[in-house]
Amino acid sequence: MAPEFTSSFPVALALGTAAGAAISAAALIAALLVLRLWRGSRDRRLAIRVAGWRAALHEAMDDPAAARLPPVAPADLPVFLRLYNHLQESLRGEAAAHLSQAVRAAGLVAPIRDLSRRRNLAHRLAAVVALGHLREVHAWEDLAALARTPDAVLSFAAARALLRIDAARALEFLPDALRRQDWSLARLGTALQEAGPEAVTPAVERLLASPPPEGLERLLKLARFAHRERVAPIVNGWLARSAQPRVIAAALDFAQDAADLAQVRGAARYPDWGVRMAAARALGRIGSQRELALLLGLLEDESWWVRYHAAQAIVSLPGLSAAELADFRARAQGAAAGGMLAQVLAERAPS
Amino acid sequence: MSAALDALQWVFLAYFVGVNLGYIALNLLAVPTLRRYLAIRPLEDLPPVYSGFEPPVSVLVPAYNEEATIVTSVRSLLQLDYPEFEVVVVNDGSRDATLERLREAFDLEPFPEAYWERIPGKPLGAVYVSRRHAGLRVVDKANGGKADALNVGINVSRYPLFCAIDADSILQRDSLRRVIQPFIDDPRTVATGGTVRIANGCVVSAGQLERVGLPSNPLALLQIVEYLRAFLFGRLGWATLNAVLIISGAFGVFRKDAVVAAGGYRTDTMGEDMELVVRLHRLYRERGEPYAIHFVPDPICWTEAPESAAVLRSQRVRWQRGLAESLSLNRALLLSPGGGAPGHAAYPFFLVFECWGPVIEVAGYAFMAALVVTGRISGEAFLAFLALAFSMGFLLSASALLLEEVSFHLYPRWSHVARLVAAAVVENLGYRQLVTVWRLVGLARWLRGARAQWGTMTRRGTWQGR
Repeated sequence: MAPEFTSSFPVALALGTAAGAAISAAALIAALLVLRLWRGSRDRRLAIRVAGWRAALHEAMDDPAAARLPPVAPADLPVFLRLYNHLQESLRGEAAAHLSQAVRAAGLVAPIRDLSRRRNLAHRLAAVVALGHLREVHAWEDLAALARTPDAVLSFAAARALLRIDAARALEFLPDALRRQDWSLARLGTALQEAGPEAVTPAVERLLASPPPEGLERLLKLARFAHRERVAPIVNGWLARSAQPRVIAAALDFAQDAADLAQVRGAARYPDWGVRMAAARALGRIGSQRELALLLGLLEDESWWVRYHAAQAIVSLPGLSAAELADFRARAQGAAAGGMLAQVLAERAPS
Repeated sequence: MSAALDALQWVFLAYFVGVNLGYIALNLLAVPTLRRYLAIRPLEDLPPVYSGFEPPVSVLVPAYNEEATIVTSVRSLLQLDYPEFEVVVVNDGSRDATLERLREAFDLEPFPEAYWERIPGKPLGAVYVSRRHAGLRVVDKANGGKADALNVGINVSRYPLFCAIDADSILQRDSLRRVIQPFIDDPRTVATGGTVRIANGCVVSAGQLERVGLPSNPLALLQIVEYLRAFLFGRLGWATLNAVLIISGAFGVFRKDAVVAAGGYRTDTMGEDMELVVRLHRLYRERGEPYAIHFVPDPICWTEAPESAAVLRSQRVRWQRGLAESLSLNRALLLSPGGGAPGHAAYPFFLVFECWGPVIEVAGYAFMAALVVTGRISGEAFLAFLALAFSMGFLLSASALLLEEVSFHLYPRWSHVARLVAAAVVENLGYRQLVTVWRLVGLARWLRGARAQWGTMTRRGTWQGR
């Protein structure tokens, strides 16, 4: 008996869609197989070349003049640069310079600069990082333009390359870097750490005098990569002037001697718990037994974190005996305060 | 009558086309994101240099009757490559020797924890600290379920981020570094998850993945294709829209203040991991605050898949209940004015296709079969319907296999490819239908209501120590 109600259209549509999907799936599997064949052949070919490059680069670390880098075909340049960048980031000093010397001697600088202008992001990134390691000053304008692009990854890679080429000159752009919220503090910190305090200190000193308002907190945090003794007095100025809790908390990390104690004591009574916590930390670093009463007060704070750092500060104060600490613990007014002191004493106990 | 049946036929057809078009759209969304991620990845593979600004992390390991694997898991966690982290094991009233194993292996001693109960939980028994590893604490507490154990773990954690992992999850040394990266790069980030892969058939030694392989067990093999589909384009596609609704309980990282403000994990649901993520979306959307939930496509967590039908059934029933509970408890997100992509795309998609989908699918199969038996449609029409379901399923799996080949290429042998392609075909001939029925059971149990409890996953550990 013929179907009573089913029109032929849904059947035809279902069959047509099914056939289309099956053909597409088969095409994807075919693509997978072709890709795997191509990848296998490429990997076998590249394995031999990479082994040759690796041996030559290792030789160049000791004696760049003697090393003979096997030719690098344009198509293989990104793979070579991965190897070169990886070695460079594991090295410091003379060996790193020798490596770059070998790459220059092989005539690869121009192809690398060319690669940095291509569309492929992976290739551009490899080239940009390599230009930084090569300290390629002639690429400065290209890299500076890339550092201004909206792409967070590419622009930061370019900025880091500029820092490697000429840190002092690149740090003239530090205000711009502070404004870029898509460049994380951790990444900026890594870059400044590598640039070193000699280069970072003058830039931070200059900028602390008139910082961009939206970048002050980040600047204070990054100031740790400058010479502490040179920037601390300027930072302490901000401790006195700023009304922003996060700025004050960042500045408190720079309190380093008894001269700063008056400001730290004031911060210990600040309404924001983050500031009180930073003050407790600072008191633990620079305080003496004269701060004990203040710290015992912070040990009763409503914030767990303020109590925790106050307890750590008390335990760090010079000249307090174990018996005295045990006595504070027993006499602590609130259970929370006594419990916190007990916890911190246990944390500090030798295992 | 005839017109109604005809219309129903159209409904089923539209559903099948709709669900598969949805997945194809996710696939298309995932491709550019994955492409960019892979372009950037070589930079992340360079030797890591830390600045001190990386957020410290508390790794929380809820454990219930894990005596067989807990020591190996914790040893593996202590070897993670990350500048500052602690490991907090929460023994949720285990009835086996989980706590004794930990005590012996890590030389635990009682610790006077100044406990801060930010999220209410079951009473704390004792806190221990390892004499050998300063960064390891073990919390012993009354049994209250996985969500409660995680809440207590959050309460005792020291750091601003916490990473919730299953006690049997196998991580790589760089897993934590990779999954934290979105928190470093995007200050709006409140949660991240990573790709979870199946460890059955792999060689694992001392809690570390030594070699990737495929299992001989057919059920586990079929689940590998399922996981590839779910993670490679499912979650990555939604992540492109900032609409990831699921971060696997096996491995996810959260900003602690955001989770505490949201009230922590709910203890009355089976899908506490998904429910938390959907709730975070809802709360941030309601408040209109900027936030981001990221997904890291790297395969950074490996887990054991069930190898028996009974255990798999139990898992899928639980997952489906969890899904239904998560959506139901956060229904205010559905099409809410400020709901954005989570409220206007992900939630409706999950509601129609993932939550209620099994009803439509099972009804569709039953309806079509009944029509054939009663002679109301031709066998040809029924076969066309089956062919459509089969070929669409195969297309999606083939696409996931190709994405895996292009991106991470974890299964290097030709025999791996052959078996995965075979699994992509075979899964459509009964496995997917069976899973759909189990999901329907899960949905039915949710409708009836039942208390949340720890999932009973029988750990075989056949991949360990080979």
